[in-house]
Amino acid sequence: MAVQRSEIRAEMVAQVHSIVVPVGAVVRAGDTVVLLESMKMEIPVNSEIDGRVLELAVAPGDVIHEGDLIAVVSND
Amino acid sequence: MTLTQEPATTVDPRSPRVRLGAFFDDGAFTTITPENDCGVLVATGYVAGTPVVAFATDPTVQGGAMGEVGCRAIVTAYDRAFADSCPVVGIWHSGGARLREGVASLDGVGRVFAAMTRISGKVAQISIVLGPAAGGAAYGPALTDVVILGPEGRIFVTGPEVIRSVTGEEVDMLRLGGPDPHGRRSGVVHVVSETEQDAMNEGRRVAALLGAQGSLDLDRVDDRDLAGLLPESSRRAYDVHPLVAGMLDDATMVELHERWAPNIVVALGRLGGRTVGIVANNPLRLGGCLDSASAEKAARFVRMCDALSVPLIVLVDVPGYLPGVGQEWDGVVRRGAKLLHAFAECVVPRVTVVTRKAYGGAFVAMNSASLGATRVFAWPNAEVAVMGSVAAVRILHRRRLAEADDEQLRAELELQLAAEHEVLSGGINRGLEIGVVDQIVQPNETRRTIAKVLLDTPGVRGAHGNIPL
Repeated sequence: MAVQRSEIRAEMVAQVHSIVVPVGAVVRAGDTVVLLESMKMEIPVNSEIDGRVLELAVAPGDVIHEGDLIAVVSND
Repeated sequence: MTLTQEPATTVDPRSPRVRLGAFFDDGAFTTITPENDCGVLVATGYVAGTPVVAFATDPTVQGGAMGEVGCRAIVTAYDRAFADSCPVVGIWHSGGARLREGVASLDGVGRVFAAMTRISGKVAQISIVLGPAAGGAAYGPALTDVVILGPEGRIFVTGPEVIRSVTGEEVDMLRLGGPDPHGRRSGVVHVVSETEQDAMNEGRRVAALLGAQGSLDLDRVDDRDLAGLLPESSRRAYDVHPLVAGMLDDATMVELHERWAPNIVVALGRLGGRTVGIVANNPLRLGGCLDSASAEKAARFVRMCDALSVPLIVLVDVPGYLPGVGQEWDGVVRRGAKLLHAFAECVVPRVTVVTRKAYGGAFVAMNSASLGATRVFAWPNAEVAVMGSVAAVRILHRRRLAEADDEQLRAELELQLAAEHEVLSGGINRGLEIGVVDQIVQPNETRRTIAKVLLDTPGVRGAHGNIPL
């Protein structure tokens, strides 16, 4: 299988509510990595691929903007 | 064995005959234009038992380029579909207008566009793009109702060479006009398929849904507990796809524009055997907010369904319009207005279900009673309001909250005021009182309740075309 590296970026302005899985965790596509808060809602940010969380670029309380890096998942 | 047997004739797998065979039921079709080097072959046949007209461009001749005669063949296909009142499907693989024929080919391509526009909204038009569709051949599919892209499909007006020579940008056909840019960014393509045969199959499913819409049989509408598809916390976002699929008969859902503007989901499918369209906010993406792209996507879908007599079900869970400078400059006012217009002019039966919340202007846009919804239902815990109650009291009681001494006191006061506000503004009961909500419906009775409304509402259709908004 080809090595895939998936950068998860913010779709909208939001505050980071909580980190759901730590760096190094194994995730499947659709698993929640980070929980954001925006528009009075808790919005799960899910991995697009099966793999391992390589990097978490945010911490709870951070305010992030559209396009900001949240996490990197890789199946390497 | 001697060597007298005839050599096997090799048939190019891209030839119109092979592709039309892969499209129609049992590979059977009747050609209605001559088979020559004009670059287009037109045939009639069946898809899931319903009559369909289809044409295929011929990439084995001049790269599938369209000349005067080939364009006339496509117009013949359109005239025949109109006469037979059946879907017309184009299988595209074409470099555009034939250079050798000069302006005559441009004239022909223009006549194809005119034919497409003439019967827009009268019969379903579907395009399956299997190879490059460049220049004039790009706008052919773009004028149709549903565009399906195969893995080798590439759609662009000017190709990589021209772009390189004019702007200096280095890009290949895949990155310029392949599944990713058109599936996610441009909104040109409705369905991206992994194989050529998948693309054919998706084309067949859409043709059957729009060409043989069936009649609603209440006995086939089972009750399902749809409430279990929402998260326990009302603040938690969720993926609306299972709810959309659950509303429809099993395995009938065809989602359009899946990756473009994913904060709204639009899909065709069946309810009790009858074709319906579903529009649903998707809280998992952008919190389910309406924005310029999602409003435009939904508006086009609503207008297509209206023109082609497909009743609509609208599942509402929307916090509002997405705030942002980018949105305003991107034309959320102009593009959002398209959705208001689309619903307000829509005459097919259209039923709204507020599953969780509907706030502000977005509540109006999502097929509200004020825009002429046939019926508006709400699930028992749903909230219809100008905005969330906490946000409302922050504005209404700004001074009083500011006077609160410490954070905790302020938070408590906020909650208390919010509860009072909910009673005052009435929540869903106030909505019922003034008629913006017709009735509370239990999640497990929703399918049958909607089905009954659709059965009781005479089917009319919008008298307009389906301009590719």
